[in-house]
Amino acid sequence: MRRAIALAVVLVVIPASAVFAADLDELLDESREASYTAEQAITCSTPDGARNAVIELSQTSGELHVGAPVAPDVEVASGFGGWTLVREGAVISSANVEAAAEEPEPRYSVDEGTATEYLGRAATMYRMTGDGVVRAELVFDVEAGVLLRVVTFNADGSVFCERRFVTFDPGTPPDVDAEPAPSVEPAEGGVESNLPEALGNFERLDVYQDEEGFVFAYYSDGFFSFAVFQTPATVAAGSGSPVTIGERAYIRSFGAGNVTYAWETRSGGMALVGDLPPDMHEDVLSGLPAPQDPGLLRRLWRNLFGQGGSARPF
Amino acid sequence: MSRAGEQISAYLDGELARAEIEQLQAHLATCGKCAGELQEMQVVRSAVRSLPLLELPPGLIPEADAEVVPLRRNKGFLVGAAAAVVALVIAIAAIVTPSTPSVALEELNSRYGARASLDPAFGPAKMVVPDLGDILE
Repeated sequence: MRRAIALAVVLVVIPASAVFAADLDELLDESREASYTAEQAITCSTPDGARNAVIELSQTSGELHVGAPVAPDVEVASGFGGWTLVREGAVISSANVEAAAEEPEPRYSVDEGTATEYLGRAATMYRMTGDGVVRAELVFDVEAGVLLRVVTFNADGSVFCERRFVTFDPGTPPDVDAEPAPSVEPAEGGVESNLPEALGNFERLDVYQDEEGFVFAYYSDGFFSFAVFQTPATVAAGSGSPVTIGERAYIRSFGAGNVTYAWETRSGGMALVGDLPPDMHEDVLSGLPAPQDPGLLRRLWRNLFGQGGSARPF
Repeated sequence: MSRAGEQISAYLDGELARAEIEQLQAHLATCGKCAGELQEMQVVRSAVRSLPLLELPPGLIPEADAEVVPLRRNKGFLVGAAAAVVALVIAIAAIVTPSTPSVALEELNSRYGARASLDPAFGPAKMVVPDLGDILE
């Protein structure tokens, strides 16, 4: 009788969501271990307008190949710390980094999930919540465990980005006719840096420095993430446009699912690349060195005599 | 001006010969009118000399500028002008020449993409999609 009462007390004290809630990392791990081919439509609503893309995905045990129907000769292979962008057999860009030293503290939790159907398949939809705000809806395939659809939200509940499979074929994808990846030295992890250890709700997980003078730190809040770059060179912001965030002037560029901020300091260029929703931008940028015009003399010096100086402006 | 007036003016300017001066002084001793004219001319001349000296605006008489500017000052001007020209050329070169070597956005994307592939959320939710518009240009 006493045992029964004790069990009843425990069940009453522990919230139901904690008893049945799924583990976000476990769900994501299962998804990344699966093999499949799919077409994914990405639709993002950004302050600078809509950013859309349709890409072809093919994943085998954690390695993901991305191609785009609009440019069949362009492909990205990524996974296990590597990234290679190939066009017509030629490597356009590649990078390789060592494994992360730390895992972020969990900030988000998912509910117990709701049974649903997606692409005619049994699926489960989870709501991901952090600080009482629903930040994402995730739909996983019940049989394959693959993340079929993810919608991320701004703090006000509006949709930031939706990534959804429009076709899905579970199982081992055909061999990808990929060119051999170039040999790229991994960036050395564990570099000391004066970049903040925390920015808003984001933790600095690790810092990298490579031979080209890049120093970059990777920040995550357990789901969203971004990298902050410091370089003695300036950053070409591409098709970015000027924007003022918290009285600071940046060049901002939104892509399908990611954002880039570029700015100049007296020591060189800085940039932020990440997938965080717009309502988090100001909080994060305010913790980083402010944009500063290097001045005519510094600009002149750099133009005449090159960069010089250190890649670590702090 | 009468001939006597011209003689008086030349006298005041120190342009007369000794014999002419003696002849004029003898005349002035007997001619009150010319003595008075001499006195008036002296008053006017002293009044003019008491006026402050003013510099001509530069360029008003180019020939005069070329003659009155001291050689030493002219050299300084040339050195300054040369330095200004050199500074201007450097400034224009700094502005016109392509800016410092810049890092392409794709370079940053590749590093972020590589690191993000180690993230627990990597996969369909966190795959960095290259900006194909830039790449295809």
